[in-house]
Amino acid sequence: MKIKILVLIIFYLIGSLNLSYAANSEKVDQISKNLRCLICQGQSIYDSQSDFALSMKILIQNKIDEGKNNEQIYDFLKSKYGEWIVYDPEITKNTFLLWLLPLILFVFGAILIIRKVSIK
Amino acid sequence: MLNQIGNYSLYIALLSSILIIIQSPILLNRNNINVSGRIFSLISIQSLMIIISFIALIIAFIISDFSNETVYNNSHTSKPLFYKISGTWGNHEGSLLLWLLVLSIFLLIFTITSKSLSNKYRILTLFFQEIIILGFLLFILFTSNPFMSLFPIPNEGTGLNPLLQDPALAIHPPILYLGYVGTSIIFSSSLAALISGSVNKTWAKHIKNWVLVSWIFLSIGILLGSIWAYYELGWGGFWFWDPVENVSLMPWFCLTALFHTILILEKREMFHSWAVILSITTFSLSMSGTFLVRSGILNSIHTFANDPSRGVFILCFLFILITLSIFIYFFYQNKIKNNFTKTYIVSKETAVLVNNLFMMFFLSVVLIGTVYPIFLEVVNNDKISVGPPFYHKLIVPFLIPFLIFMAIGPNLNWIKDKINKINLQQLLFFILSIIISFIFLKRVGISYLFSLPLFIASIFLFLITIKDFSVKKTNLSQKISHFGFSLFILSVLVNGVLAKEYSSNMKVGDERKFLNKTIKFESLKINESKNYQSLEANFKISDKNNSINLKPEIRVYDQPQTITSEADIESTLYSDNFLVLNILKNDGFYNVRYQIKPFMIWIWISIILISFGGILSIVKRNG
Repeated sequence: MKIKILVLIIFYLIGSLNLSYAANSEKVDQISKNLRCLICQGQSIYDSQSDFALSMKILIQNKIDEGKNNEQIYDFLKSKYGEWIVYDPEITKNTFLLWLLPLILFVFGAILIIRKVSIK
Repeated sequence: MLNQIGNYSLYIALLSSILIIIQSPILLNRNNINVSGRIFSLISIQSLMIIISFIALIIAFIISDFSNETVYNNSHTSKPLFYKISGTWGNHEGSLLLWLLVLSIFLLIFTITSKSLSNKYRILTLFFQEIIILGFLLFILFTSNPFMSLFPIPNEGTGLNPLLQDPALAIHPPILYLGYVGTSIIFSSSLAALISGSVNKTWAKHIKNWVLVSWIFLSIGILLGSIWAYYELGWGGFWFWDPVENVSLMPWFCLTALFHTILILEKREMFHSWAVILSITTFSLSMSGTFLVRSGILNSIHTFANDPSRGVFILCFLFILITLSIFIYFFYQNKIKNNFTKTYIVSKETAVLVNNLFMMFFLSVVLIGTVYPIFLEVVNNDKISVGPPFYHKLIVPFLIPFLIFMAIGPNLNWIKDKINKINLQQLLFFILSIIISFIFLKRVGISYLFSLPLFIASIFLFLITIKDFSVKKTNLSQKISHFGFSLFILSVLVNGVLAKEYSSNMKVGDERKFLNKTIKFESLKINESKNYQSLEANFKISDKNNSINLKPEIRVYDQPQTITSEADIESTLYSDNFLVLNILKNDGFYNVRYQIKPFMIWIWISIILISFGGILSIVKRNG
């Protein structure tokens, strides 16, 4: 354990020689908030500091630099890692019930109440 | 030695449970016998035994008795005493023992405080409660026994997850469990009332206390969990719509709906069946919560102990309880007094129905969002993630009418009110809130689709709940809770809109500009603590007028070896300064994340206010 900290200190000493990283752009933040860190437990890529998340942030930055828009980036990631990576599931034949069911229940409940209520 | 004490007392508790279950149907047919006789002594013995076993486990943790497998797996001699004790329930086995402890103590309290009620109702409640206790006892003894012996005895334990070594998280589970388990009494008593044909005013009056108690503990439990997530998980948020968070929120929605329904039942003898259904649902959700968290089928940061075989047991148990209650409901449903009267459209009754509709909607969004991915994966092996964007999209549009209804509803009269009750004063407040929101959003420069109506609705509710303090008609506890809720929504909104964040990789000596502030990474030093070493950074954040120093840490725990980031937060009434540091693999650089979070403290204060309203209500009713 002491070694680990020693290594950190050595890194810090030689650190001054290296270039600093540019801060992530706001667009990367915005996109990575909607992505799951696949190797973490319930964290977004934005929140995670794992190697996977860091490399993903660089990947997203590269895609932005290539001129891709948000949709294209999400689609690219989905084709590579599957639906699992986005926190905002699209409405497809798999997920339409997910979006619709709460709304149906609300309408159903509203009808029940209307039948119980009288205007007079 | 402690293992034996723990085991034996649990077996005695099991025996008492079986005896009570066998005896209660016999006692039920004898009308004149009072419960306070033999059953009461059995319940006392049972509680005593469970308390003894729980104390035995705590002692095993305190003295680091590694002949106990649970202690070996979750403790370490170098841990501070406080975390040795909280380690007792910081693991699967111990937390279930805590569930059981609360179950039996609550039952004891119920037995003592329900003496004025009918014998049949009391015995039936005991009966159902004992079935739940029996289930938990079997579960603990045969799948998750906290008193397993280890031989040869190891010299050292493996330690407690450092994320859990935290004061808020030490008391978070017990508080939350008090809320969860409180719903078991509501469940048992509603079934008992159903069978004994006493779903009425008296029952409502009696059960209201339990609803309030569970609701208060659940609220505070959720609050503690959120505070912990805020400063410990290092991303500056307090709610991520994580499945395990959702699981605690679902019974909360249900309890809130139930509480409002019980009020109507008490005052107007209406909605009997609905109150029973809500009581059953609330407990089912609390149990499912335990199942989902403990079975490990959720991909979540909280599942620190999981084992599928345990999941199967809870699933079966849950299935039996729910089937049993549905069966009882349909069998005895005709015993419920059916004085079906339509409620008038502008009345307090309708307002409560509308409240219930929204609560059920929010509940269904959270429930479906949480379990849908699990089902989809089982059905066709597709993995999807349902995260914050989903919940925001479905909840926010419905929040707007909900807030407006909440502003109007409480001022309505029972039975029938005048339509022109939506009067000039309210209209004035509404126009005022439109103006305030408009100016505010204009100045901030935000124009999301729902921002304006959402701000209008929440400011409207905020103004009305303040105004309501001058009205004598409704009671103080309700005013405080409702005001707390409006403050909560408003703080969350303002916080969300005005929060600013800066993230960069820095090394010691670096300086960055952010807005009108300068962030300077001044120094880094190593501290030694009892069970961890830490890198403590010192940041100076200054603007023209003043400067503050923030000292986030990176902790390296040795048992088990884990690295955690401890954010440093400076809280004021206006805003929080939040700074967290993360290790990067490269060259002495650290990822620095600095956030300004306006009105953060008001989110916590508002939840305390909401709960305080509940506490006040209990004190007033019973004091």
